[in-house]
Amino acid sequence: MADVKRDPRRRRAAVAVLAALVVACAALAFTKPPMAQVERSISAELIEGAGNSYNLTGHNYLIFNIARGRNIKSAATDTYIGIAGSVLPMNSGAAKPIANVLFWIPPLLGGTRITVALTMVSVFAGVIASVFLALGKISKFPPLSAACRAYIFFFRGTPLLMQLFFIYYALPDIIPSLTINNKFLAAFIAFALNSAAYCAEIIRAAIQSIDKGQSEASRALGLSGAQTMRLVIIPQSVRRLIPPVANEFIMVLKDASLVSIIALTDLTQMTRSISSSAGNALVYVPAMVIYLVITAFFSFVFNKLETRFSVYQ
Amino acid sequence: MSLLRTENLSKSFGELKVLNSVSISVEQGEVVCIIGPSGAGKSTFLRSLNQIEQITSGKIFIDDELFLHRENNTTVSSAQPAEYKRLLLEMGMVFQSFNLFPHKTALENIMLAPMHVKRLGRGEARSLARDLLGQVGLSDKADEYPARLSGGQQQRVAIARALAMQPKIMLFDEPTSALDPELVGEVLGVMRGLADSGMTMLVVTHEMSFAREAAVRIIFMCDGDIAEESEPDQMFTNPRNPRTRQFLNSIL
Ligand SMILES: Nc1ncnc2c1ncn2[C@@H]1O[C@H](COP(=O)(O)OP(=O)(O)OP(=O)(O)O)[C@@H](O)[C@H]1O
Ligand SMILES: [Mg+2]
Repeated sequence: MADVKRDPRRRRAAVAVLAALVVACAALAFTKPPMAQVERSISAELIEGAGNSYNLTGHNYLIFNIARGRNIKSAATDTYIGIAGSVLPMNSGAAKPIANVLFWIPPLLGGTRITVALTMVSVFAGVIASVFLALGKISKFPPLSAACRAYIFFFRGTPLLMQLFFIYYALPDIIPSLTINNKFLAAFIAFALNSAAYCAEIIRAAIQSIDKGQSEASRALGLSGAQTMRLVIIPQSVRRLIPPVANEFIMVLKDASLVSIIALTDLTQMTRSISSSAGNALVYVPAMVIYLVITAFFSFVFNKLETRFSVYQ
Repeated sequence: MSLLRTENLSKSFGELKVLNSVSISVEQGEVVCIIGPSGAGKSTFLRSLNQIEQITSGKIFIDDELFLHRENNTTVSSAQPAEYKRLLLEMGMVFQSFNLFPHKTALENIMLAPMHVKRLGRGEARSLARDLLGQVGLSDKADEYPARLSGGQQQRVAIARALAMQPKIMLFDEPTSALDPELVGEVLGVMRGLADSGMTMLVVTHEMSFAREAAVRIIFMCDGDIAEESEPDQMFTNPRNPRTRQFLNSIL
């Protein structure tokens, strides 16, 4: 990371590669063949063979399937790709799995959106809440510190799956006014509450790792305890927080697959349902690649943040 | 009039008695040095004055006002909160390990307390900080982070930071002990300048030449007690207490 930052040549190269990718994607999207051309390109016999029940799907995504057959159950699927203004059949050989993968990507990205959105909002809310939890836990006011301790103990000591289940299914049974109809909201609440407990421990450890001389100097200068925290201790803790928070983020990203229990379709759940309905386990490959890409992307972002917060080192 | 006075100040850490009824008095404008062997309680004494450590018993007077009186680990009486805070801020402290804020530049280190404790505006705090950096000879290092300063420079910034709160007395706890020998001089130079400008100073130090030149009185501390208190000439040429003699022989 630091290398790219220091070496302007490598940095320019990285920017150029990114820009080329963006341009290439845009070019592909804008050269999508018009529908009429698609119909023309697909051989007449193919359409005839499909009888009257042929069905074009997925045209919006460059890739489209044609299902042939008298009824959906017996339909065979042929796949074409519309690219750079022409329509290419992808029905045979190595083209077939590639076409499949391309065809699955849009629904997989739909699941990815849920996974990433849930992770981001949950960890963000969790980190904010955890600052107060951590400060509460190390406070010298026994009831507050005991309450925070108990909270952390509870959420770290029970399975996240059970917490999620409890919030969505069990809690409304016990207290009807706490019914949450929005599945995403329910998942968010469970994940944020859970993440807060884990992050609180991270933050407490980071705060307590700051040299005692810092608070002594603050005190000698007349800063109050709260000012010392806000102006001296917390800003220095931030850099130490980033690696463990990044770790927590990636854990949550993967734990997000637990939301299938409340019938929310994240990336894992989408993969499973495609795999079973298409009868093709190949879909796991692009799904795992998506996970790796997201993980790599966020690792990059967190690394960048860490560098940024290390300016004074 | 004494600026700082203690009466029978004692401090224990649990069972361990570290300070044993220490009474001192520092007059306005005096430079008083405290010397003594390791573990004598010198640091603990300074830290007890500005409340980094809580004293077990004794009285502290600042500006001839009662600042704090404790007995048996409970406060018997103390100055009213606003007054207490004002008196506390009359003491500035410089630590052996500098304790600069690593995430702030030299200038920001000095500005922090004036802005947040004295509620000075940013511009005012900045010009105050610039003046003080000039005073310690570091005008060109205003925007450096502490990690990029030498130990001697860091300690000079730390002195400027303490001065920014306009204390009436400066407490120094072995300000040069963590420095490479070639950096000691620049810090002592700043301290001499401060002494010459009339600042009241209480300095724990192992730099006997500094003590000899700058101090009006030297306190020899041993096992939590003041074993001897005398003028530098007396202390160095003809110490009264055999333990002082033994200590001085061991280091000179
Ligand atoms: N927070 C603490 N808890 C327990 N004991 C302590 C604490 N701080 C200091 N002491 C003990 O108090 C005694 C005096 O320590 P102090 O640091 O005041 O000595 P000093 O005279 O400053 O020595 P030095 O020259 O090594 O700095 C030592 O025995 C030390 O172990
Ligand atoms: Mg000491």
